[in-house]
Amino acid sequence: MPDSTFLDSTELVLNMGPQHPSTHGVLRIILKLDGEKVLGTECIIGYLHRGVEKIGENRTYAQFNPYVDRMDYVAAISNGLGYCLAVEKLLNVEAPPRAQCIRVILTELNRIASHLLWLGTHALDIGAITPVFYCLREREEALKIFEKYCGARLTTHAFRIGGLLYETYDGFEQEIRDFCAMFVPKVDEYEELLTNNRIWIGRLKDVGILSADECKEYGVTGPVLRAAGVKWDLRKAQPYSGYEKYDFEIPIRQNGDTYDRYIVRMEEMRQSVRIMQQAVEAIPEGPIMGKVGKVIKPPVGEAYVSIEAPKGELGYYVVSDGSTQPYRLRVRPPSFVNLQALDRMIRGGLVADVVAVVGTLDIVLGEIDR
Amino acid sequence: MADDQKPGGSEAAPPPGSEAAGQPAKPAPPKPAAAPPKPAAPPPPKPPAIMLATPWESDLARELKEAFGEAIGETSTYLGQNFIVAKPGSAIPILEYLKLESDFDYLVDVTAVDWPKRAERFDVVYILYSFSRNERVRVKIFIPDGYQPETAVGVHLTADWLEREVYDMFGIEFAGHPNMRRILMPDEWQGFPLRKDYGILQQDERWVQENLGIESGQ
Amino acid sequence: MRGLLNRIFLVDLFQGLWVTFRNQHPKYIYTEQYPAERPKVAERYRGAPRLNINPDNGETLCISCNLCALACPEALIVVTSERNEATKRKDLTTFTYDTSRCMFCGLCEDACPVDALELTQDFEMATYTREGQIWDRQMLEEGPKPTQYKC
Repeated sequence: MPDSTFLDSTELVLNMGPQHPSTHGVLRIILKLDGEKVLGTECIIGYLHRGVEKIGENRTYAQFNPYVDRMDYVAAISNGLGYCLAVEKLLNVEAPPRAQCIRVILTELNRIASHLLWLGTHALDIGAITPVFYCLREREEALKIFEKYCGARLTTHAFRIGGLLYETYDGFEQEIRDFCAMFVPKVDEYEELLTNNRIWIGRLKDVGILSADECKEYGVTGPVLRAAGVKWDLRKAQPYSGYEKYDFEIPIRQNGDTYDRYIVRMEEMRQSVRIMQQAVEAIPEGPIMGKVGKVIKPPVGEAYVSIEAPKGELGYYVVSDGSTQPYRLRVRPPSFVNLQALDRMIRGGLVADVVAVVGTLDIVLGEIDR
Repeated sequence: MADDQKPGGSEAAPPPGSEAAGQPAKPAPPKPAAAPPKPAAPPPPKPPAIMLATPWESDLARELKEAFGEAIGETSTYLGQNFIVAKPGSAIPILEYLKLESDFDYLVDVTAVDWPKRAERFDVVYILYSFSRNERVRVKIFIPDGYQPETAVGVHLTADWLEREVYDMFGIEFAGHPNMRRILMPDEWQGFPLRKDYGILQQDERWVQENLGIESGQ
Repeated sequence: MRGLLNRIFLVDLFQGLWVTFRNQHPKYIYTEQYPAERPKVAERYRGAPRLNINPDNGETLCISCNLCALACPEALIVVTSERNEATKRKDLTTFTYDTSRCMFCGLCEDACPVDALELTQDFEMATYTREGQIWDRQMLEEGPKPTQYKC
């Protein structure tokens, strides 16, 4: 008999993913465990790498527009908005007021759709099966509006550089109003299911805490930052596309744990409804396309433009060499940077918390790997 | 029917040939698409070939110039966005100074741009943001191929993955980085995809054959 | 005290169960019985491509300008034409559209100056082979003919 067997070793290396339902795609996490306790993690990403930035350098500005939808595919409209704003900045043009207003409505609707998918799958990871059905049911209503507006439900290609291609359809305003009226009671319903549920609280409270200083250190943005008590939202800090005209709150919480991030996202959905309700009553008349030539040829220069996507700060750094194709197109994906904080959040926690923390970061692997 | 789908229809229909001017030949499309017609004559007023940046005058720019002197090459602003061009070795002290003295506590992004014809081949760009000032600034350094800039991980932890991605895509190694490995591409992959001399259809054939068991990924 | 009573009487559990019970009502059924009941897609839906023909004389509307092929980000449209000496115009000979690489972005449709190429509301485009995904001119003009299942 040898003196020690492998059973004496207290450390265990556990491989989670890439084919794992709660990693939300193809994320692979290598966990070092001591019993149930997580001693350390390492993320292996890149399984979905498609070279979006390289594709961007080989397409014209207009041609690249549909590709950005395929990064964060649950919030395709936000991606499109960021890209269009970045190229518009390089061209030094602005979309007409009517286009900006419609963009805001659709982007907020997309934020709701993205948060709903997050809520459903996050609850499913934790073990609550019911919310996912209800969330997808309401998300379906949002996707139907996208389909009616631009002809696609997920990878929408809704905006064009300089404004919009599609005019609103008949009954667009009424459908948005109906959605808002229908949706607010539904958020209360989800909260009834989850907020006071003792299992939900037990699984989420004090799990994956990230303080405000750590958030800044790791560059974490979006609801994760706001749940740590930093009142920062790009829509307020550096308004774009006419967000300064709308009255809304930035929901914040103080603890920075998984439960607080849940509360912040629920409140954000309500605020999105508020923005949509204000915007839909004030859609100005006028053209929907700005003064942009058919061939988009920005002058030599560079610009970094970022927007508040549902996951955090989504930035586009575009370098133009004066030709019709971007010389360099860098995407600053919020999920990529947020995922980096995963190690800090679950070190010292339990294995079961890994699922909760990965879920609460609201990552989309299409955006991380690009 | 098509008309109500496209209210901007009149603008959407381009005169033939105008699109062709802006259409460079695609790098080896998989199918022999019809060759694009010869570009029409370029419009006479040629846009300038350099970025029309204006000097950036502010307290911060003056402070930085005082603190770092020669190391700061240029402080400019373009489209309302400020940037600093610094000497390669002084990037990290500048980031540190900006973080500690001027409250630029959030490193938004680290990225690079490849200019193969230039002597200093790469731009490394650090994008910074300050929560308290609500201001962005970009710090750029120009480095030749093979130069190893110092890592920013000691100043901002978020630089860890961002620098790994720059290494993965451009082959710029950051000196002192705790874990300088590829992040998106497989570890054994040869070549750096975002360099300009790396074709869009190019692949590490040997890796593909060994690991995927197929002749080619195309 | 109140919290303790809430815990003892499982208030949160019954609150949740009441929500699920309310949603049991048959009017909240959302399932679509797909092959039997075909969904109605939106008017602007971007589905299977179609090359329109002039209903009066049965000739194609396409003027072989090649703009769709240039606009396509994936370069999947190939248009060939030959010059008709009689009319001094280009006559369309072949039009190939590779739907297996298409991402239905609609840029070709926007680029078409005569509304000949259009993305239609057909969405059942599955085939048994990869080659079947490459549509020629005849297929584009006639559109896909999926089997319709009735129950």
